Amino acid sequence: MDNFGFLFAANAFVWGGIIYYVYTLKQRNRELEKDLDLLKEAISKESR
Amino acid sequence: MMDQEINEDSREESSILIWLTGIAFFAAMAAIFLFVPTEKTEGPIQRIMYFHIPSAWLSFFAFFIVFISSILFLWKKEREWDIYAHASAEIGVIFCSLVLITGPIWAKPIWGTWWVWDARLTSTLILWLIYVAYLMLRAQTDPGSMRARYAAVLGVVGFLNIPFIHFSVLWWRTFHPQPKVISSEGFGKGMDPSMLATLGVSLGAFTLLYFLLMGQRIRQEKLRDEIDRLKREKLFSS
Repeated sequence: MDNFGFLFAANAFVWGGIIYYVYTLKQRNRELEKDLDLLKEAISKESR
Repeated sequence: MMDQEINEDSREESSILIWLTGIAFFAAMAAIFLFVPTEKTEGPIQRIMYFHIPSAWLSFFAFFIVFISSILFLWKKEREWDIYAHASAEIGVIFCSLVLITGPIWAKPIWGTWWVWDARLTSTLILWLIYVAYLMLRAQTDPGSMRARYAAVLGVVGFLNIPFIHFSVLWWRTFHPQPKVISSEGFGKGMDPSMLATLGVSLGAFTLLYFLLMGQRIRQEKLRDEIDRLKREKLFSS
């Protein structure tokens, strides 16, 4: 009773899930930082 | 200038945490696949336990933080606590999903079925549904104190399911095995010491991962708040 396929599948789901979540977090952070920079730039241009 | 210093400090802290988490996961993987002996009855498939239990621990811990933060939000009405609750709920749902995926993968070759509607499995599924509802509530309602208040109430009520999940295997006859780490025989008495040590390392790695993800998620919410504040300022000034 080896069931290595099941062990591999469980591992793949855990690692895949963690890596995908970390990737989406990084993406969201990058987008928010970009939005914040654009907004700050627009405000500083308006105040000049 | 001050903001820049704070950012640099938090970046330094997060890079230390990234390294610690990486080392802990490396140690956990080495222990799971190289150190710990293969269990006699179930064979290699039993190694799923070292992902399954830490994922369950992480999700329960995350929901506990939602519970505490929600109570503190309802009491103090401070946005900070709402941020912690929201961030922790998302992480909790991710890892509760992993519990509900790895469990059936482990169950199929051992029990001969992917799923049974026993008390432990069903109550864990209900827990997952409650916190998915929590995230949907936050996504579907307008930002503001009412949204935070409704979410906080759901965050508190949802957590009450966790003691029920823990004791379900003791109160009813279930397919799911009884606790081995904290059992009636005492702490870790139902397990081989090498298995207990490996599980401990894995639990530590997942706990560090929780704090790492929380840091990122909190930062994200704060950035969103800053964007909203600047947008409002811009609207009023124009």
